[in-house]
Amino acid sequence: MTQIARDLNLMDSHIRIVNWRNLRHLDWILVVLVGALAYMGLSNMYSASYGYEGAESTPHFARQALFLGIGTVVALIIVCIDYRFLVALAPLIYAAAILALLAVLMVGLTVKGGRSWFRVGTFGLQPSEFTKLATIFMLAWYLSRIGPRIRKFHYLFLAFAIAGVPSALIAAQSDMGTAITYVPVVFVMVFVAGCRKRHLAAIILLGASLVPLAWMQLEPYQRDRVKTFVDPTKAPDNEGYQIIQTKIAVGSGEMWGKGVGQGTQTHLRFLPEYRTDFIFSLLAEERGFVGGVILLALFAGFLIRGLVLSEECREPAGNLLAAGCVAILAFHVFVNVAITIHLMPITGLPLPFLSYGGSFYLTTMMCVGTMLSVNVRKGMFAEK
Amino acid sequence: MLVERDKPKRYEGSPQRLRALMIGLLALYSILAFRLWDLQIIHGDKYAEASNENRLHFERLEAPRGIIYGRTEDVVLADTQPACDIMFVPADCREADRERVARRLAQLLAINAGDLLARIDQYRKKPFTQLPVKQNVSKTELARVEEYSFELPGVYTTVRPLRRYHYGEVAGQVLGYIGEINQEEIEARGQAFKMGDLIGRMGVEQMYDPILRGRDGQLCVVIYNQSEPQLRTDELGRPIVQTDSVGRRLHQELEFSRDPVPGKSLTLTIDIGLQAKCEELLGTERGAIVVLAADTGEVLAIASTPRYDPGVFVRTGYGHERKALLEARPSPMRNRAFQEHFAPGSIFKVAMAIGGLEEGVISEHSSFGCDGYFYLPGVGRPWKCWRYKYGGHGHPDVVDALAYSCDEYFYNVGIKLGIDNINKWAEMLGLGIVTGLDVPPGSEEKGLVPSTEWKKAEFAGAADPSERKWYPGETVNVSIGQGQVTVTPLQAAVMMAAVVNGGNRVRPYLNKSLGPDLTPLPISDQTLEIVTRGLRKCVEKTERPSAGTGIEARVPDIVVLGKTGTAQVVRFKHYDNEMDIPYEQRDHAWFVAAVPDEDPPIALCVFIEHGLHGSSAAAPLTKQVIEYFYSHLPADLRLAKAAEDGP
Repeated sequence: MTQIARDLNLMDSHIRIVNWRNLRHLDWILVVLVGALAYMGLSNMYSASYGYEGAESTPHFARQALFLGIGTVVALIIVCIDYRFLVALAPLIYAAAILALLAVLMVGLTVKGGRSWFRVGTFGLQPSEFTKLATIFMLAWYLSRIGPRIRKFHYLFLAFAIAGVPSALIAAQSDMGTAITYVPVVFVMVFVAGCRKRHLAAIILLGASLVPLAWMQLEPYQRDRVKTFVDPTKAPDNEGYQIIQTKIAVGSGEMWGKGVGQGTQTHLRFLPEYRTDFIFSLLAEERGFVGGVILLALFAGFLIRGLVLSEECREPAGNLLAAGCVAILAFHVFVNVAITIHLMPITGLPLPFLSYGGSFYLTTMMCVGTMLSVNVRKGMFAEK
Repeated sequence: MLVERDKPKRYEGSPQRLRALMIGLLALYSILAFRLWDLQIIHGDKYAEASNENRLHFERLEAPRGIIYGRTEDVVLADTQPACDIMFVPADCREADRERVARRLAQLLAINAGDLLARIDQYRKKPFTQLPVKQNVSKTELARVEEYSFELPGVYTTVRPLRRYHYGEVAGQVLGYIGEINQEEIEARGQAFKMGDLIGRMGVEQMYDPILRGRDGQLCVVIYNQSEPQLRTDELGRPIVQTDSVGRRLHQELEFSRDPVPGKSLTLTIDIGLQAKCEELLGTERGAIVVLAADTGEVLAIASTPRYDPGVFVRTGYGHERKALLEARPSPMRNRAFQEHFAPGSIFKVAMAIGGLEEGVISEHSSFGCDGYFYLPGVGRPWKCWRYKYGGHGHPDVVDALAYSCDEYFYNVGIKLGIDNINKWAEMLGLGIVTGLDVPPGSEEKGLVPSTEWKKAEFAGAADPSERKWYPGETVNVSIGQGQVTVTPLQAAVMMAAVVNGGNRVRPYLNKSLGPDLTPLPISDQTLEIVTRGLRKCVEKTERPSAGTGIEARVPDIVVLGKTGTAQVVRFKHYDNEMDIPYEQRDHAWFVAAVPDEDPPIALCVFIEHGLHGSSAAAPLTKQVIEYFYSHLPADLRLAKAAEDGP
């Protein structure tokens, strides 16, 4: 605690922890890209909710709009708070997150085989979603503190340990998809922090050599997923069916798509899970190749802008935070779309801005807020 | 740590590494874009098709099959009429009312209420499914249900086409039946057919299937995954689909829907009254009666017993009856008029007489002595004439030989003609060759009139060359319609038609619109006159002791030509009393006849399998057939006759 207090004292006395005027200095490029993505996500959810020929409606659209609203408010609050204050609090947040994960492990609700939910009112909350962000802040705190010492292997190893603890706890909840999101986060952050490339290469080699061992550790259903990925027709009832029908949905969109609300694969119930992890198939079916590529381009633009903001920040913690946020979102987008178009086995990761779900939407918006927050303060570290 | 922080050293960050990350990001996302291109643009058609297969559901709309008429359109032999099924949709009936409705239905339709309730319970999860309560209900049952419809919520009537054969077993073999196509038939017939198609099986239904069938339509609806669309009929009896089994509204895809095209109707040459009479006359015997219009070849009747009712094959719930019919022996599915062939016995002498006169081996007045025994040089055992016990026929000429059926006369004719001339004239008259009757390909038997060439080919594999040689003794057997020669009753009728129509071989036909197809034969009028005299004497010479063999076929006021035939079946034992002979070893009874002077002239053949004697078993039936036909002329023939007689 004393350490945190000291850190806070170090800040220039004229800089306030919360400064509402920062909202005037938002990075408009990032905001516009986020707005475009949120618009595509909501219009897609509208189609997913109102269905075929207006046959039925579900509360998903309204809820998703609410999540966006809450997320926006939270993101703006984060912009106003000095991120360095949050970084200074990172060890506390991180410790709280780890405790929450442990609590979920003991008492959490079981959703589709994975124990990962707390129920708060009518909404379920997934601590593992927020742990991702807590870990990014913790890594930023740690890496900004050790500075160039990251070039020594044992400092690097500790960074991997920081990410490894929550990852292992989430893996213990049988949520492999979320567990592996920590891998790209830690790799990108230590890479940006300046670790030795040969160390990274060694870790990658070590990881690759552990794959057969990991394979042995996988649960039978997880192994089946990989087998089903190789040949979906072998298990046409369950996941094989999902893969086949998803490919049909995406492929049948062709160039221009079937039109919003006209996706037959999704609306006629040939495709389960189309509002959550497989929402990209609805977009690809209804808006075709053109819509799919526009969405990918928006994501790429948004993420590259995030890296540019990281680069523009001349302060290590902000620089790392932005990069970590980009890493986690980029990974979600890539894996989710790759699964939908049958490039990866099914793991169950949501697509930012598009998949239905409050916790993840909030996490996404918190990442956006962090990136903007880093950016509005870049002037403080610029050369005078 | 603090010291480090205090240094005014500017943090440089790692721009190169961030650039590398950007490039990596773009590279990874490009992979996604390429994959999308691959799925949506390169293979898009394939997936679009698969998506259509998923969502589009096709209901068959059966095309009404063409009507099969008798000789005129007021005689309907087969048509397609709506069959009504009573259905129950649980969702349209309140849970509390279901038991009451089930009990009421049980009362009205004589069904088991418990079974129905059990079925309703079984479909609890899919309450919009139509459950059949009773299929093909009668008009009174339908009326009863409609009367009580106000207290029967959820009860509907659906209509489907059902083939009906109005005369039951009469002409059943001629008509054939319809049935669902099987896998082998689809493979044999090609792409135009698919599972569930109804196709003609046997008889006219099969032969004229392409005309009768029409083209099925289809109703295309967009369906939800794992749901069954519910096909109903609207007030006008048209099929509609509105909901699926869980009650979701379904929409029609007009682009892929198609109205059915009804089949064309067909008018047959069959005189259904005569056909029924012939079948009645055959009764429980095995046999066949063929009646042809002698001038044209129209098949007026083609009866065969045992017979079957084609309706058994189209109505629901007749599985046992169907199986019994298909397995019965002798098979009622085989038409004995042209699908079985038998030794003709003495009716073959008609062809022998014509051949002999035309080839000049006999003349009107040439005669051969008949003492009851015929010897060939070098053969010890004689061939007997059937009257050998009474000392033979004396010195018959060709007329008497036909009238009294003298075997020895025709042994001589046969030896003089030689087997190849016999073959030539018999085939010319239509024996031992396919008549060309319009029945499904391959279903007509050819029979056999042997020749030297035939024997060579038949015994080509024989080790001993002598087995391939034709022997005069075999010619003697063939001369009286025994030995290897076999014919069908239809062929025998075709032969008789030639005798009375001026020497033309007719092609018998069932489809009236085919029209006659005559092959003129090189037979002189004189020959026909001589043979006609012989056949007439056979029927009309009643004075005993030397009466014609066919006197039982005599009809008052009508000139009838006839020839008996009694074809021997191989027996290994002598029986003193012929009724002691086991059925399977009894002789076949034939009678061929023709009526030359009436309008229309007819030629007919009556065949009774194992009927013992042509003169006693077949000839009396012939008389009844002729009497019936001319006293009950079908409407169209009566009109034609009136028109001719008028001026």
